[in-house]
Amino acid sequence: MSEQEEKPKKKTRREFLQELGYVGVGALIGGSAIFAGVNYDKRKKQVDRIKVLTAENELIEIDKNGVTKVVKSKKEILTYLQKEGREGIPGKRWVMVLDLSKCKNAQRCMAACQSSHHLRPEQSHINTLKMQESINTPPYYLPKQCQHCDNPPCVAVCPVDATYKRPDGIVLIDNERCIGCRFCIAACPYSARTLNWTKPLHDDEDKDKTYNVELNVPQRKGTITKCLFSADRLRDGKLPYCVSACPNGVFYFGDENEDAVTNGTTKVTVRFKKLLADNGGYQLMPELGTKPRIYYLPPKGKTYPFQEKDKALLDKELE
Amino acid sequence: MLDPTRIDKITSDLLRPIRINNAFKLWMTVLIVALVICLYAYTLQLKNGLGVAGIRDYVSWGMYISNFVFFVATSLIGMLISAVLGLSGVKWAAPLARIAEIIALAFAMVAGLVIVSDMGRPDRLLYVIIHGRIQSPIVWDITVVSTYVIISALLLYLPLIPDLKICADKLEKAPKIQRDIYKILSLNWNGSPEQQKIISQATRALAIFIIPIALAIHTVTSWLFANTSRAGWDSTVFGPYFVSGAFVCGSAAVIIAMYFYRYNYKLQDYITDSHFDNMGKLLVLVSVVYIYFNLNEYMVPYYKMKKFEAIGIHELFSGVHAFLFWSTQILGLVLPTILLLFKGMRKPFPMMIIGIFVLVGGWFKRYIIVVPPQEHPYLPIQNVPMNFKIYTPTLTEILITVAPFILVLMIITILSKVIPIVSIHETLEEEIENPKPLKGM
Amino acid sequence: MFKKNIGIKISTIILVSLFSLQAFAQAWTIPAELKAKTSYIPFTSSTSKEGEDTYTKNCMSCHGNPGKGNSMKALNPIPPDLAGKVTQQRTDGDLFYIITTGRGVMPSFKDVFPEQERWKLISYIRSFNRQYVQVLSTFNPQKAKLVKFDITYNAVNHLVRVAVKATEKTGMVVLKNDSVDIYAKRYFGRLQFDNGMITDKDGIAYFKFPTDLPGDKAGNVEVIARVTDDNYGEVTYQTRMKIGVPTDKPGLTEQRAIWNVVSKSPIWLVVVFTSGILFLGLFLLYIGFSLWKIRKIGTL
Repeated sequence: MSEQEEKPKKKTRREFLQELGYVGVGALIGGSAIFAGVNYDKRKKQVDRIKVLTAENELIEIDKNGVTKVVKSKKEILTYLQKEGREGIPGKRWVMVLDLSKCKNAQRCMAACQSSHHLRPEQSHINTLKMQESINTPPYYLPKQCQHCDNPPCVAVCPVDATYKRPDGIVLIDNERCIGCRFCIAACPYSARTLNWTKPLHDDEDKDKTYNVELNVPQRKGTITKCLFSADRLRDGKLPYCVSACPNGVFYFGDENEDAVTNGTTKVTVRFKKLLADNGGYQLMPELGTKPRIYYLPPKGKTYPFQEKDKALLDKELE
Repeated sequence: MLDPTRIDKITSDLLRPIRINNAFKLWMTVLIVALVICLYAYTLQLKNGLGVAGIRDYVSWGMYISNFVFFVATSLIGMLISAVLGLSGVKWAAPLARIAEIIALAFAMVAGLVIVSDMGRPDRLLYVIIHGRIQSPIVWDITVVSTYVIISALLLYLPLIPDLKICADKLEKAPKIQRDIYKILSLNWNGSPEQQKIISQATRALAIFIIPIALAIHTVTSWLFANTSRAGWDSTVFGPYFVSGAFVCGSAAVIIAMYFYRYNYKLQDYITDSHFDNMGKLLVLVSVVYIYFNLNEYMVPYYKMKKFEAIGIHELFSGVHAFLFWSTQILGLVLPTILLLFKGMRKPFPMMIIGIFVLVGGWFKRYIIVVPPQEHPYLPIQNVPMNFKIYTPTLTEILITVAPFILVLMIITILSKVIPIVSIHETLEEEIENPKPLKGM
Repeated sequence: MFKKNIGIKISTIILVSLFSLQAFAQAWTIPAELKAKTSYIPFTSSTSKEGEDTYTKNCMSCHGNPGKGNSMKALNPIPPDLAGKVTQQRTDGDLFYIITTGRGVMPSFKDVFPEQERWKLISYIRSFNRQYVQVLSTFNPQKAKLVKFDITYNAVNHLVRVAVKATEKTGMVVLKNDSVDIYAKRYFGRLQFDNGMITDKDGIAYFKFPTDLPGDKAGNVEVIARVTDDNYGEVTYQTRMKIGVPTDKPGLTEQRAIWNVVSKSPIWLVVVFTSGILFLGLFLLYIGFSLWKIRKIGTL
């Protein structure tokens, strides 16, 4: 199913959780509910029906008119979001593949990420780096973010379980818990973490929002913020913000268990392992034993030239 | 038996400093004013966030953490002098035990506060206990540091009990409340053999127990760094390297304190030239061990020149940190060690000067261990403002860093105004066993 | 040899310059019958709104906001502002073709959006053109309902057989010489397997199915087939087939590890830490007891 067709699900679900609270359970049981796995064509026509994810993680479809809206307190919504954010999406093992031969430093990924996570310009969950290993090897651009390691050094050192690994592979940070000790920053070899050193960018506007650990908004002063693999979007069947924003087809995102990744630009889905096998996929600093969930395809046969000003910068660094 | 006049002389000599004089009032006023200024800086940090300091995402541990390491390091001396030397029967160190314990307790207590000043969310301090993960070296550190504070306090208190009795009896001029407190804390001490036996057993147990705890606090502190894969921290000798360095700092602190007490409290008869001579020798010993670990720590990566370690080594040996690195190593470690080999240098005044050099060098050494390795992570630092790339401490940060020193001085000052800083009870016992003429008798 | 190389170089240069010239001229070679294709969906404000949603998500990163001229200048060729003259002068068929097949930096959205959604995108693009008057196609989308798929799998030769028929009142009509594609549904999109095929005279096409494609716990895979026929339009059919490898991988946080939560920390660590704390507690009790004894002896 295309991303577009999944769209209504997000709106309804988020509206429910964030503004109205859960759907009355009675309405769910009350006859009108049928499971989502019904025929694809039939579903599209049912304008008056909406999809809801139950607390048991079952996606169900119900009649809009049969819904009882239960207004829940902010605290209950927060508790729900926190619980959901720790459990992850069952059965998934998210992976990302970045094709370095396509990156031309458009930085759209950075911009999309910063705007969706309310970050300051100097804070980035994803950062496109200008790289060159030695004077004779070619320069290239490296979009770098949290590698969502399977052996995460940052999670290991966290004293309060604020940053944690989920069963679906995502490493998240809980800003209701973080004490700002920055041990994780020290431990991360990928420099993937950043702190809200001062008042967050949209602190005043976000004041009344319920904290969503899967989006890490509102950002909180004195706590860590980092790439979340757009966990909130994945729940709605959508690709991460950076992946969708890339105009150059650099990003692939998908589920290792399904052996499929989808390109964020072309939306084409390919076999994950075959993509790595055909293009010599590798990981960043695998020698550290962090077991990243992000894979890179080498910048072989770059489709774009490396910009001159960046070249000059690297030459200076390598001298 | 001891001549009663000598008992009186020793008792009154050692009790004399326990009074509030004008010098004390003035000194405390200066400290309090300075502390208030520093606390104001901290309120700025509380209000505006850690961003008021120069630390940013790449160098995210700066002066605060260097300071923490320094405080933990200095506190280790209590264990060396009162436990290791005490248990091995080194007699000359006995009168210094209390000074060492006071320093240990003050530095260890304040170390806990230093770490709070580095927290982005100090309001969530209790989360470390509520949600503590036993896999995190920070939780280990908090566990062992607080244990060390408790054990150090007990190790200060237990041998003090007989002295507290003396205080309660002899300090007639002290306010009633103070004498009552002495009385309560002296636990009905009457010097009976049963009491003596219990207290010596318990003190011995504490002295034994504090050795692994002290080793643990600094080893665990070193693991805050060594347990990451950062080039420059990723080292297996960090534990002993830190511990040996800690003894250097602590010995220097004790020497400075000895000098101060000797002259201000007129204790020339009790803290003698021979004590300085011995402390000088001790400082040489621990410094030589530390130099050996330094050699390991810098020689091995220098030889291999692995990519990122080579960058760090270059920055230290001939790059931006070269001046700081070489002055710390030479003025704060090698030169003092060489000087102290000469007997003429092991006199109170030169030793006090050397002690200051060693202690200041020790602080900057911690800075060199903590800060430079963060400036060169595995991936380049790009797309961030200049102040993210180069760490420059701010004035606010410096003031917040100074605050713990003021606190330590206050704790030490107050403690030495309420308890005798050389054990009366032990001095008397030593006199009985080993009578020696006191000067001025 | 040398001359041959020169020849290759020259032809490459010519090819490259031709390509860039073409890119510059933005000349799309669109077959005449496709150029004339028109939508069977009437363009309304509601279709335009739906198209806008799709546009914002999938097109705006390159094409920018229509009419604002903020398309991505770094790309070659520069993606046109879709409210602009160049785009608006194209026929609906042109736009449909461009969106469907793509070229160079412009991706193909054939497998991403169903036909309807591509038309809705065009509806949105046309909403920026006041002069535009829609010419509706006479195509009756209801005819798609007549199309029936029959998909079976042969586990021996790993072939998926897709048979397409339409049940007209006059009887069964076999859809021959139509292009058919089949896909496995994945979380973010459709994974095409084998190549697109053309149905034979019996309306049947065979697809090689990979033997190692993960399915759900039971090995089920949602298979989507799509046929494009001149009379019946683009018809999609989805069915669940037990043809994948049963996959039930545990979560990634099952094992005991230093990085896991406290309840899943290594046993040795739990033992060491707890016994350390216990020992400390007992030790402090001993010291406390000693102090209590001293006090007690003193009162005697």
